[in-house]
Amino acid sequence: MAGEQLVLTGLMAVLLVVIVGALARAEDWRSYTPLAGGGGYGEATGHGHAEKPGGLVRWLTTVDHKDIGILYGVYAVVAFAVGGIMAMLIRVQLTLPGGVIVGNSYYNSLLTSHGITMLFLFGTPILAAFANYFVPLLIGADDMAFPRINAIAFWLLPPAALLIWAGFFTAPLTGNEIEPAQTAWTMYTPLSAEQANPGVDLMLLGLHLSGVAATMGAINFIATIFTERGDGVNWANLDIFSWTVLTQSGLILFAFPLLGSAMIMLLLDRNLATTFFATGNGGTMLWQHLFWFFGHPEVYILVLPPMGLVSYILPKFSGRKLFGFKFVVYSTLAIGVLSFGVWAHHMFSTGMDPRLRASFMAVSLAIAIPSAVKTFNWITTMWNGQLRLTTPMLFCIGFVSNFIIGGVTGVFLASIPVDLVLHDTYYVVGHFHYIVMGAIGFAVFAGIYYWFPIVSGRMYQKTLGKAHFWLSMIGTNVTFFAMLALGYLGMPRRYATYNFDGAIAPLAQVTTFHQLATVGAFILLVGQLIFVWNVVTSWLEGRRVESHDPWNLEENDMLGNEFSWFKEQRATALADGGEEDESVMADGGQPGQQSDER
Amino acid sequence: MNEEQGLSDQYGRASPWPLFVALGLVVSEVGVFLGLFTVAVFGLVLFGGSIAGILTESGYASRPWPTLLGFGGLLAVVGLGLVVWQVPLSAVTLEGFGQNGLLSRSVAIVAAGVILAAAGSVASVAEQTTV
Repeated sequence: MAGEQLVLTGLMAVLLVVIVGALARAEDWRSYTPLAGGGGYGEATGHGHAEKPGGLVRWLTTVDHKDIGILYGVYAVVAFAVGGIMAMLIRVQLTLPGGVIVGNSYYNSLLTSHGITMLFLFGTPILAAFANYFVPLLIGADDMAFPRINAIAFWLLPPAALLIWAGFFTAPLTGNEIEPAQTAWTMYTPLSAEQANPGVDLMLLGLHLSGVAATMGAINFIATIFTERGDGVNWANLDIFSWTVLTQSGLILFAFPLLGSAMIMLLLDRNLATTFFATGNGGTMLWQHLFWFFGHPEVYILVLPPMGLVSYILPKFSGRKLFGFKFVVYSTLAIGVLSFGVWAHHMFSTGMDPRLRASFMAVSLAIAIPSAVKTFNWITTMWNGQLRLTTPMLFCIGFVSNFIIGGVTGVFLASIPVDLVLHDTYYVVGHFHYIVMGAIGFAVFAGIYYWFPIVSGRMYQKTLGKAHFWLSMIGTNVTFFAMLALGYLGMPRRYATYNFDGAIAPLAQVTTFHQLATVGAFILLVGQLIFVWNVVTSWLEGRRVESHDPWNLEENDMLGNEFSWFKEQRATALADGGEEDESVMADGGQPGQQSDER
Repeated sequence: MNEEQGLSDQYGRASPWPLFVALGLVVSEVGVFLGLFTVAVFGLVLFGGSIAGILTESGYASRPWPTLLGFGGLLAVVGLGLVVWQVPLSAVTLEGFGQNGLLSRSVAIVAAGVILAAAGSVASVAEQTTV
């Protein structure tokens, strides 16, 4: 014990010396001069110099919103891969009733980490990636309101991920003394309070830090959209994506600090013998209420910006403006408000007061109205439009289709009598995966393909993009539709094996649907491998975009602010005589061929 | 480029501080909650130092030393407050340090606070006497 303490002390001392040394090398502290206005930009010293250092140092020290957006994006895609591998292991395990590859404890760890990884390490950060890169461009701002806080928020995430995944690495090293958490992503007490495993503490700390990061990001987006809008951008013509990011940030501001506090209370219960969630005093219900007061808005935190992406991109390839723009904005705000009044629909089967339950059912059903407003507006935008089935457009249409299935199944779950039958079955799993993969995932892909030319200066490979879409669409529907059927058959969720009595559920049919879901998951996997290959190879050696308008949006007068910025960038680069852009000039003059897919 | 210039002077959109502010917060949380004394002290010192650095670099403060002193003082008060409020006086002994989880965590917070405040005061005095 004393030896361990000594090693730890030595390690900390060395780290401190290294950090102070690195900072002393990088910075001239005596040069810091207070800015007149106390602003956070550093323009006073930065003006007239190069913007960023080169190499790795650029990425470690950047406060540029575009760089931070790319960092968020890379981070989120890595997390998506990790969460995806966990999902594949889960699906392989469930191919046979007795389980195929892992034991029950490891299955529980995979299940917990898959959920947390996808929601907190992929979902929230990938949306922050889009928002960081594009909100300032869309609203005509130079950068975020607080560029340094932006960087701090990002740098909290890699350690958060390491803490959340730590148990997988420490379990073999410590002889399973520190295992990955097995609490499921909802961390229900008393299970989470009483599991002695320190891996749960690590996971809670990681989750808490990711919440701090999300909150810092949200404050930054709100301040940016309120105060940094350029000339000509006002509330009346603010784009739909920025509206959804603003609403999402508001939700984060109210929801995440509450999750953070609840997790601190749980950590105190676990480590310092407090009794917030003691079973005798209704502590179990207290955790569920606190968790879902955050957890349901979290659903809308994850889905509103993707809805904004679809509302933004879908009209571009329909050749017309978004139908009922104002009502799409109003429905966004309505969802934002209503999302805080539905949390207890996750708890219908807990034995809570039936009168309270009925009111939560009413609000949950009511939230279908603004969601339907959006859906009908997307459909009406496409109605009689000049559709161009480019890859981003295909993903937008896929979003609408999957969102309808995910949404309608949610309406059924909102109804108390139906929920009491389907609660804790695969029906719920199918429902929310239609939303998180079929809708949110698809909108994210639409965004990545649509803005790929701006971020990379190159075009992705069209055929691979289409293959990615069709494999994702088929894979999603095979996997998650099978889960809806499993739910109707009574298959409970979170089970590592399902060798149950035929009186509980028809085992042969359950096995078949599980196998179907696994086949679908493999189709999805192939699609995502193609996606990663496509993005990486196209970024490195794809065809350079030869005009500022790769989607030919100008002909319908639909060029967005971000592509106008891209135009200016290219013009400035040409004037500077940048090497890259000389070739663009030489290849110029054929705008018709620049379009990826018309 | 002038080689003597610091990174954030040389480049308009670069700052070395955010990475360390984030790292400081992470290490502090892990150290305090898991009750790892040295990790907690190191994390809090890094966190406080980086906050002083980033506030000065971005122009919100003219010198880093008052921030160090203030943040250190705050930590010391919080740590002492925790002990006074929650730890019985009889447990505040050298033996109790290893036994009582809250006591050792509070002492770590106080220690980090004292280190930061001392660094801030010494640097401030040294700066005034040399200039």
